[in-house]
Amino acid sequence: MKALSFTISKGMINVLKKMISVSLAGVLALSLAACSSGGETQGAKESANYPERGMAIVAPSGAGGGWDLTARSIAKTMNNTKLIEEPITVENKPGGGGAVFMAEYATKEVDNDYMLMVKSPPILINNNKAEGNSPYGYKDTTPLAQLTRDYGAIVVKADSEFNTLEELLEAIKADPTSITLAGGSAPGSMDHLVGILPAFEYGIDPKSVKYVSYDGGGEAVASLLGNNADVIATDASTIAEYVRSGDVKVLAVSSPEALEGELSDVPTFKDAGIDAEFTIWRGIFGPKNMSDGAVDYWSGKLKEMSESEEWTKELEQNGWQSEYKDAAGFEEYLKTQEQVIVELLTALDMQK
Amino acid sequence: MSTLQFLMDGFGVAFQWQNILFAFVGVLIGTAVGVLPGIGPMSGVALLIPVTATLTAGLPPEAAAASSIILLAGVYYGAMYGGSTTSILLNTPGESSSVVTTLDGYQMARQGRAGAALSIAAIGSFAAGIISLIGLVLLAKPLSNIALEFGPAEYFSLMLLGLAAVSGLAGKSMTKALMMTVFGLMLGTIGIDAVSGIARFTYDLPILYSGLEFLTIAVGLFALGEVFKTVLERDQEEGAIAKIGRILPTKQDLKDSTVPILRGSFLGFFIGVLPGAGATLASFFSYITEKKFSKTPEKFGTGAIAGVAGPESANNAASGGALIPLLTLGIPGSGTTAILMGALIMYNIQPGPLLFDDHPEVAWGLIASMFVGNLMLLVLNMPLVKVFAKIIQTPKKYLLPIIIAISFFGVYAVQYTTFDLYLLLACGVLGYLLVRNDFPVAPLVLALVLGPMIENNMRRALTISNGDFSIFATKPISLVLLIVAAAWLLVPLLLKFKGRAIIVNEED
Repeated sequence: MKALSFTISKGMINVLKKMISVSLAGVLALSLAACSSGGETQGAKESANYPERGMAIVAPSGAGGGWDLTARSIAKTMNNTKLIEEPITVENKPGGGGAVFMAEYATKEVDNDYMLMVKSPPILINNNKAEGNSPYGYKDTTPLAQLTRDYGAIVVKADSEFNTLEELLEAIKADPTSITLAGGSAPGSMDHLVGILPAFEYGIDPKSVKYVSYDGGGEAVASLLGNNADVIATDASTIAEYVRSGDVKVLAVSSPEALEGELSDVPTFKDAGIDAEFTIWRGIFGPKNMSDGAVDYWSGKLKEMSESEEWTKELEQNGWQSEYKDAAGFEEYLKTQEQVIVELLTALDMQK
Repeated sequence: MSTLQFLMDGFGVAFQWQNILFAFVGVLIGTAVGVLPGIGPMSGVALLIPVTATLTAGLPPEAAAASSIILLAGVYYGAMYGGSTTSILLNTPGESSSVVTTLDGYQMARQGRAGAALSIAAIGSFAAGIISLIGLVLLAKPLSNIALEFGPAEYFSLMLLGLAAVSGLAGKSMTKALMMTVFGLMLGTIGIDAVSGIARFTYDLPILYSGLEFLTIAVGLFALGEVFKTVLERDQEEGAIAKIGRILPTKQDLKDSTVPILRGSFLGFFIGVLPGAGATLASFFSYITEKKFSKTPEKFGTGAIAGVAGPESANNAASGGALIPLLTLGIPGSGTTAILMGALIMYNIQPGPLLFDDHPEVAWGLIASMFVGNLMLLVLNMPLVKVFAKIIQTPKKYLLPIIIAISFFGVYAVQYTTFDLYLLLACGVLGYLLVRNDFPVAPLVLALVLGPMIENNMRRALTISNGDFSIFATKPISLVLLIVAAAWLLVPLLLKFKGRAIIVNEED
């Protein structure tokens, strides 16, 4: 990386002397940049030396959401603890609730040992819902580890007329067109499911609930603060900062028990009389054709990381709950989770 | 403490010797990143995050965060200065925000006024940088509230205004401009729809799932189109290109640019504040506005200095404006600010409503350092103009291969796929055929940017209103934007009906 900036500034000096040389230096810097942050892999035969260069973790959403924060925490912990010396960058690839990047990941990057992906239940949801179906699911990846679990939160603005989940649900029941629910992902995906789950359990037709999707949790929060949404469904962890600043209030969280930290006073769905819970697990995946060497490398490093002090600290700061599963356990878990989600989508009449 | 006191403390941080150094390194790399096509501000900042993390490792956490954000932000706004260089000299936009600069900048260069174009871009960028910083200091809080007011309905109306103004990019025939606009809108629908997640016009080709890359199309249409034209039409005017006249703009140039720079700065700043709108849109809006207000609109597209000064100021001001939602709300308005936000989070500094209270040293240090950095950029860029301007004297037989190489490297470094290289070539051929037949390509490019934003926001707004179109008229900001858009289209028509005399009077 230092070499890159050096090349550029050296190029700048050359510029002052000769015009032709600038394009050469530029080309050199570009090819350096291209090599270091992407490109094709050379196949399994080189896996013994893995990794030979920096790696990228992709958050298939805009910045500021749960996937993004998880990807950045992993990159930061790995590099700060020197578990991995090669620089790990985080890339944001938003769109279609993660489906856009999933298609790319399962095809274009299927052999790219240097590109990992953070994902959560949408990898299962997108693969099983009828509308906006993604032909690719977790079986088109190599699950490496589950790292955290988070919960959904039903959030309104601080000055909202609603103070409890029940009041909100009553209002939706009385007139579904009067309440706009927003989230950072497409209809039928996670934020939507978290948002309509209590409504569904309360006896409201989930299809009647108005849902507006944005590109990522950050934009959804903006729509709530700007009065363009009455309520949003988002991750419990990302909303804590706005609770602390007094901009929003959280009506309920989808956890089985009350959370710790900023949201400790918030009732769970169950406390609010809704018999439902929803866990947002987050895990890290490799491409389907990931070489054995790379899988072993990451499995080992991720296990070490999950036991490190820095990772514990990182979890605390973000208000996440740790839940580590290794590659085999994670894959098993995904299998059972997929069944749960298919059941849920069927109940909502949104299954494939 | 008052704002002024906070700002003074910020300068205290910015003037620490290591932070002056960091700001300088940042803007230096930023300039290079801006000049080199392909390595855009986004990848430039992302690549430097690990470097700054290493450089600041010894400092206490708060100071380390301030130092690295000073460097990274330097790359970000520094790249906006350099971005115009290849647009002006080679007709090859390096960043999407300087696409519109090619329209008049390249024409100026062909007339031997490359020096004037480059220096007015630098001067405009400096003025815009300072204006947007003052705006940031004074108006951050109230403006962040206005940014929040901008919901789907307001965005839709703003984008519609942009589309209505597309007439400003038309060449000889309005019909042809409209055809190009529709073509651009249609290209924009390719890919997986962000609102429903459904694939459209992808023919099951995964490569099309993320849509067509804007920069590939722009570089193909503008730069390669020009190359094909020169090659195919055997444009053998070697040496016929006018000598570079003076490097500095003439008094007349400065006079013609002052108002566009000011207007571009304000326009860019306010558009930059809106998350999602960004520098590209700001530069387009500024160009269209300048043409509308100009006394000699027919000169636009043939080397009007206002067509360089306005957009170049606007894209710089937008980068300042975009810091407002980032710092005060924790909402990044563009890819690059998202990466800046990631860098702050790496240091456990959460941008958001509490940033200015919890970490004043970082927030105000950054703002103060940007005053210093902008000054450095002006000093850095003015001498470079002289050097860069000479590129125009390179004989065509050397220049054309360089343009082709830069285009291909640039596109590949952003996209990493050979598909985009084929697309680039196809757009080059298309660009040549279109320009040859007087179809303007700028409306196509603008429609490609606006299309998806118009569509998504319209559908969001209609969901909110239960399908009632009156939402666009009942929201005040949206209504005002719609009225302006209607006036934009109708006023010239009405004037035309009333006879030519009035138009002449209007333009006196």
